[in-house]
Amino acid sequence: MRAGILRSTAYDDVPYTRGGAVDRTEVGALARSAVDGDAAAWKALVEGLSPLVWSVVRAHRLSDADAHEVYQTVWFRFAQHLGRLREPDKAGSWLASTARHECLKVLKGLTRLTLTDDPQVLDRASEDRTPEQTLIDSEEEAVEAERIRRLWQEFEALGDRCRKLLRVLMSSPPPSYLEVSAALGIAVGSIGPLRQRCLRRLRARMDARGAV
Amino acid sequence: MDESGIPEGDFEASGFDGDLLEEELRQAATVLDPVPAALLQLALDAYALHDLDARIAELTFDSLVDALPVRGVPDAPRMLTFRAGAVTVDVEVTGEGLIGQVLPPQSARIEVLGGPQTARPVTVDTLGRFTSDTPPAGPFALRLRAGGEVIVTEWLRA
Repeated sequence: MRAGILRSTAYDDVPYTRGGAVDRTEVGALARSAVDGDAAAWKALVEGLSPLVWSVVRAHRLSDADAHEVYQTVWFRFAQHLGRLREPDKAGSWLASTARHECLKVLKGLTRLTLTDDPQVLDRASEDRTPEQTLIDSEEEAVEAERIRRLWQEFEALGDRCRKLLRVLMSSPPPSYLEVSAALGIAVGSIGPLRQRCLRRLRARMDARGAV
Repeated sequence: MDESGIPEGDFEASGFDGDLLEEELRQAATVLDPVPAALLQLALDAYALHDLDARIAELTFDSLVDALPVRGVPDAPRMLTFRAGAVTVDVEVTGEGLIGQVLPPQSARIEVLGGPQTARPVTVDTLGRFTSDTPPAGPFALRLRAGGEVIVTEWLRA
């Protein structure tokens, strides 16, 4: 796992800082190395930015099959354009924006109603026991897992706008606001206030449920 | 910093820590909705698709986006046009496969790429007209060898 080298501590493009962002100069350097044939650099790019692409796809609530195809399309196209990126430092935004456009195309082309009633997506947190969960044996971890499950349920029950924004924000490492903007087609300046409101709403839902 | 305009004092008095909650969500996503391992592997393998020598034919028309929907024709074929310089490739994707034409008319060798490891040749006539009786399953691209150069169409989801 090389994703660690993508981590940095600050944003320079927005007046907002938090730890763990993908450093765009680092991303640019990795992209340039990958162009020159450095497979390890490509691996670091994929591992550092895959969760962002996946989050964008998930935020748009595609069916699993569509989500998988969009994710692949985005990475195939990124590999194809690798040596021609105008701003390699903004590879994250390029990926997020491409993912968004492909998602919108899928939604536009949908003639079948797989959009929101894909039971696997909606019931994932409530019904499925993931491999991770089955591994949990200590009581403490079980309590923590239950808390995470509840948090996820409340997150899924949020309105579309908040659910979308938070799904992108929660990708790992945390995306920059430029990337979030590219992922959702919203202005950078509106992300902070909307984020604050959505997180408060989620907290209120958790509190109402007594799952503090 | 509170960008929502709510007074800082109220914000802190409520004991609400948005960063902490976001971090918890990040943990939840890592456990409950991670990138599927098979997809991560496909993205790693996609490195093989980077080809500095090939020209990219950009998508200039997509009926899904650029055409008005035709009512009562739910299975209207997907019409795509790609362009690289003077070369244009028109493609029609149907449930039965692909039909297309290279313009200006010329003989070419054409393959349908289905991923980092999949390339299937299609039949092309001397005027650059081609057919494939296998509809693309998932993302695809066309690789053309014509006039001494290699052109690859932008990856697209069928």
